[in-house]
Amino acid sequence: MKKLSDEILWKSLKEGDLKAFGALFKNYYSSLFNYGLKISGNKTITEDSLQDFFMYIYEHRENLSDLESIAPYLFTSYRRFIIKILQKKQKTKMIRDIDENIVDINFTPEEFLTHQESVTFRNKNLTTLLNKLPKRQREVLYLKYNCSLKTQEISDVMGINYQSVVNNIHKAIKGLREEIKILQLFNS
Amino acid sequence: MTNKTYHNINDFLNDDSFKNWALDTKLSDVFFWNYWLENNPDKKELVKEAKDIIVGLQFKETLVSEEKINVEWNIFEANLLEKKKVPQKNTFNKNKWIGIVASIVLFISIGIYSLNNSSITHTTGFGEILNLKLLDGSLVTLNANSTISFSKENPRKISLKGEAYFQVDKKKATNAKFWVLTNDLKVEVYGTIFNVNSRKEKTQVFLEEGNIWLSLKNGSSKKMLPGDFVSFSAKQNKILEDHTKVFVEEKTSWKNGRLTFNNSTLINALKKVTETYGYEVVFKNTEIKSILISGTVPTTNLNICIKAIEKSANVLIKKENTKLVVYKK
Repeated sequence: MKKLSDEILWKSLKEGDLKAFGALFKNYYSSLFNYGLKISGNKTITEDSLQDFFMYIYEHRENLSDLESIAPYLFTSYRRFIIKILQKKQKTKMIRDIDENIVDINFTPEEFLTHQESVTFRNKNLTTLLNKLPKRQREVLYLKYNCSLKTQEISDVMGINYQSVVNNIHKAIKGLREEIKILQLFNS
Repeated sequence: MTNKTYHNINDFLNDDSFKNWALDTKLSDVFFWNYWLENNPDKKELVKEAKDIIVGLQFKETLVSEEKINVEWNIFEANLLEKKKVPQKNTFNKNKWIGIVASIVLFISIGIYSLNNSSITHTTGFGEILNLKLLDGSLVTLNANSTISFSKENPRKISLKGEAYFQVDKKKATNAKFWVLTNDLKVEVYGTIFNVNSRKEKTQVFLEEGNIWLSLKNGSSKKMLPGDFVSFSAKQNKILEDHTKVFVEEKTSWKNGRLTFNNSTLINALKKVTETYGYEVVFKNTEIKSILISGTVPTTNLNICIKAIEKSANVLIKKENTKLVVYKK
């Protein structure tokens, strides 16, 4: 359902339909904003960068290739876009170091849904555990579980190969499970 | 989803249909996995843990409110329209807008402040020229880095710091006088055109049309005729220069955005540049100070100004921070 509407949106956008672009903007603003905020850690920079990013997409719409799903494309180009902005700011020393290959994402308890069913994780613990993981594993988990991207799409967004995404997910889950077991020992 | 084997937790986590079952989102998957679990009781623990991870890692759908997104979209649309109108560059970011708004607020507050004090002040920065019409109809061109002020009660009594070119309206009915006050002297006129430059602890007055009286700070007074040029310093308490039939362009061309030099030494010409642009001038070689130059340079574009002087005097001028360093070629 979503895929279909995405495809139609994309086509209308390429023809310059501003309404279609508005729908696209509203569909993806939230998830891109959250992703940008994770990378930059700064609300204003994220807002400004998104304005510029969407402007860039709109102005270059004629050069865009046909896509079946927009999300991975948007995440990929936006990630590159905001990192470039941050690297420029970094030179004026306003911002912490950003390495294009290692985005540093941190989690907060507020952003997780509280699920009664989830016995293994209590939100607070989960956040602590997640933030203990290496940076790359954190980003993979973020893209997989928050942005619902597929493994291939994550590999495109982060610019690392497929197997590397798989390995990072496995390592992350393994790390989480080990930490959970230690926690459970302490709690019992 | 039917023929796959599930050995470890990652096999479950990477399976979309498993995710659908864990999150209870797709009925067919829910049926499938319930059935599968009944037939694979040994995997029960693993499945439970995998489900916990999927459920536990669920993020809240959205952190950005719909209103906020709409606000951002409106900003985007406005920017887009702006761009369509002016297709060149014009990328206004927020900070620029803040700057513009701030300066408008500042202007208004200066205005209010001035009103409260019932005096009006106009100031120019380096490389700026301001054309003003005074309350009585007189025209003033204010050169760079200069200030004029006057009270509302007496708009024909002007205090000046820096340089200005006056075209004073004659008030035939009242025969009202017009004064310009500087640290060194007072210019008294009825209606005429003249230039006053009060920089560097001296005041230079050049009269273009009509006639004026100068009241010098030492108490003496002096009448000037068209084409006269007088320079007086209160600090030194003497008349430094007193010429007749001075080359008009050289004294007043700045008001048209140009500095005109007529066989002036490089050091004097660059003093004018310092007054106009605020750059200190440093000579690397002393002998080039006395090179004579003639010509015209702009007062609002430093780069062109420098290039013109470089060519005319055959020297090299380098911009270093707030300094202009002059080298022999």
